[in-house]
Amino acid sequence: MHLSSCCSVFRFFLNFSSSQLRIFLVVAALLIPAAGAAAMPSVERTVLPNQLVLLVAEEHSLPFVTVQLLMNSGSRKDPPGEEGLARLAARGLLLGTSRRSATEINREIDFLGAFLTSYAGMDYATLNLKILKKDMDRGLDLFMDVLTQPVFPKDEIQREIDKTLAAIRSAEDQPDDVAEKAFHKELYLSPYGHPVEGTGESLPRISRDSVERFYRDNYHPNNAILVVVGDITPAEVKTKILPRLEAWKAGTVLTLRFKAAFAGGPKTVKINRPITQASILIGHEGVSRSNPDYYALSVMNYILGGGGFAARLFEEIRNKRGLAYSVASYFDPRKYTGSFQIALQTRNASAGKAMKTALKEMRKIRRKFVKRKELEGAKKYLIGSFPMRMDNQEKLARFLGQVEYYGLGLDYPDKYPIFVGAVTREDVLRVARKYLHPKKCITVIVANLKEAGLEEKDGS
Amino acid sequence: MLFRPCLSVFRFFRNFIASQLLIFLVLIAPGVSAGLTDQVAETVLPNGLKIILLENHKAPLVTFQVWYRVGSRNETPGKTGLSHMLEHMMFKGTKKVGPEMFSRIIQENGGNNNAFTSHDYTAYYENLRSDRVQVAMDLEADRMRNLVLRGTDFRTERMVVMEERRQRTEDNPQAYLWERMEAAAFKVSPYQWPIIGWMEDMERWTLSDLKSYYKTYYSPANAFLVVVGDFKKEELLPRIRKAFGSHPGGAKPDQRREQDSPRKEEQRIVVRKEAQLPFLVKGYHVPNLHDQDSYALEVTEAILSGGKSSRFYKNLVREKRLALEAAADNSLLSYDPRLFYISAVPMPGRDTAELERALDGEMARLRTEPVKEEELQRAKNQIEAAFVFGQDSLFSQAALLARHEIVGGWKKLDDYLPSIRNVTAGDIQRVAGRYLVRENSTVGILIPEGSKDSRGQGVKEKHEDGKMGR
Repeated sequence: MHLSSCCSVFRFFLNFSSSQLRIFLVVAALLIPAAGAAAMPSVERTVLPNQLVLLVAEEHSLPFVTVQLLMNSGSRKDPPGEEGLARLAARGLLLGTSRRSATEINREIDFLGAFLTSYAGMDYATLNLKILKKDMDRGLDLFMDVLTQPVFPKDEIQREIDKTLAAIRSAEDQPDDVAEKAFHKELYLSPYGHPVEGTGESLPRISRDSVERFYRDNYHPNNAILVVVGDITPAEVKTKILPRLEAWKAGTVLTLRFKAAFAGGPKTVKINRPITQASILIGHEGVSRSNPDYYALSVMNYILGGGGFAARLFEEIRNKRGLAYSVASYFDPRKYTGSFQIALQTRNASAGKAMKTALKEMRKIRRKFVKRKELEGAKKYLIGSFPMRMDNQEKLARFLGQVEYYGLGLDYPDKYPIFVGAVTREDVLRVARKYLHPKKCITVIVANLKEAGLEEKDGS
Repeated sequence: MLFRPCLSVFRFFRNFIASQLLIFLVLIAPGVSAGLTDQVAETVLPNGLKIILLENHKAPLVTFQVWYRVGSRNETPGKTGLSHMLEHMMFKGTKKVGPEMFSRIIQENGGNNNAFTSHDYTAYYENLRSDRVQVAMDLEADRMRNLVLRGTDFRTERMVVMEERRQRTEDNPQAYLWERMEAAAFKVSPYQWPIIGWMEDMERWTLSDLKSYYKTYYSPANAFLVVVGDFKKEELLPRIRKAFGSHPGGAKPDQRREQDSPRKEEQRIVVRKEAQLPFLVKGYHVPNLHDQDSYALEVTEAILSGGKSSRFYKNLVREKRLALEAAADNSLLSYDPRLFYISAVPMPGRDTAELERALDGEMARLRTEPVKEEELQRAKNQIEAAFVFGQDSLFSQAALLARHEIVGGWKKLDDYLPSIRNVTAGDIQRVAGRYLVRENSTVGILIPEGSKDSRGQGVKEKHEDGKMGR
């Protein structure tokens, strides 16, 4: 069942969805523009006097409501030396308020059969509620209480830090996680470089006072987007939602300058582990979500390695050579410039061969026009699968939050097919040349280096 | 009703997106409320193919699924993992459709598709716009009958499946332990081997094994369709009839498999492997949904690990700070009776033996004192709410109907909520006393190589080192 305490599937789903916006998943709209829009219930957008942006989408097929608050306070706002602070603030919301202890919050939410969760990503944090319509009042009270009256009890914060330290240690057993952390650390010369959850060095330095300060500097309505989706009427928005939100006072948000900077390649980082399969990441600087080439890049990446079964990397590395079970490429477009990466796992002995094949495909797509059929296939998928990006409450809430956060406009479902539809083979070649840099890659290999034939040769 | 709990689920989910997978079904929550089965229509074609249809007009989308009544339980020792291998091979083409074209065609139609294998079934699905359902239907009808199994594809795909096994199990100490525990829990039942199969068995597979497996199990008589979404039954059914109706029915394979006799003593497995933290998993033999006790075990699962006010989280994670995480997991929807699992990771510095004592203490408490009314109600509320939430996905609705169909018919779904509601504090005490007891359990303990954890020194039943294979 789905309700297990700390390692439930449900949480992993949420985790996944609220984390990176990888292009393979950022899939949208229809060939016939109107059909894309039809997939989205109409959305009411309001800016409240406290500057909170409120988005409401009614959908009455089931008697429940999903609420997602998106707070512009991700780990990129962690102060140097206190990495993991943004996440502790998000988690800390649920650890006690002026009216309720953590235990009382847990008991109340569980008794309603509801889900109240909070997560932090690199760009933003979210507070999420899923609750039956009949319990909506109680759920909203709880939601506002944890959002506006958290007290961050010292022992609770310490407990959270201890658990996080243990989870960081446990994650050392996952080669792909080890590779990802090393890759980010090597690549980014910006606050995107550290893990959202912090590190073994930074976490012990964080005090509950820092958590509270971070909260005071960031958790204001004028720094947030609230999305409400599901079985709710305009009248209920007026009587139940608005009065609660209006009581939340605007405040001063600490603004930080973010400077995107990247380490240049080529460079290889080798990490030795007694494992049977090498976990490999190859990549470099990517783009931000606001890059005008985003749509051409979506098409290009789909053909290269983002398009699942239809991608070139999948065909060459998995289907033809049997070298991997999973292989894919991603752009990770963030508020500021994110990364590009190819990720694959292959048995130690074939690490070199798989990497060579991946790089060859990177070079090839920069050298030659993609086939007309490939271009059409990519566009048809990206456009045709759009309605599936918002086919349940949770997905719709997430989608709307991102549309607002990245400033895409509520007519995005209408625009997307036009943007993607306009991409040509020339565009694909141009963006491949501009944004793929096979000679400047940072490569991370977590493997049994001896078996992989990669032992101690220093540098790349 | 979830499956493999724990830590590696995130990885499974990532893989799920990238490729074909062996899934320990990622159903977020059971979907389809009581009474919803009233809207389900069932038809059986003359060739034996059952068709289960449920209209849902929320969005212009549909999920088209073909479920075969074959999984790792149908395999034989020495050739384990064939079901999952065949699942991979189902993407290698037919006389009409070229290798790997299946997914490409679905994707070009704006659809997502994949497949998953369990102990009891192998399922294929396409999620796509409802006006493209014909594409999915034709492709599925074609590969049900006309799959072409080529030696070259077989050899390459076997390498892929070996990579999959390395990724899921070989390099994942917790998954590795889990597999060993299950291998010890069953002596006769095919649930003793993992869905993906043993690595050494993969070497033994042959193309003709696959061909005969396909012939035996992939027939209309041993399959059913579930379609949920935006369509009209009276319009869709004739099209399905046309696509699948001309296939010869085939024989219904014998689904009976030998079962283990009841346990009389605890079994212990110790795995020493390079890992950061120890891990502990226990499996108790329990009945499936054919026995009303299984619903009391569902509620027990929620009492132990449903949310942060559950006993495991509240007592072991929060109060005693013994566990980084702890979970319980019942096997309601299993074809043959399987296990009720509990698993936990100790906090660094905490002793595995101490954690095990605390877990045993929680199990003993279930037997010795009745659950309080509020706690029972909380568990039931969680299950009911999750049921409603689960209806939000066409895929989960279809999968839930299908999983009930595999075990006892989709109509069994109607029993779910009423049976949960009927569970009393006395039932929980009774099933805990009957099933969740030491003599009925198999315990697996992962000791990180080089760790000072004392546990396992006194364990002599069965030692295993870190090597793969059996």
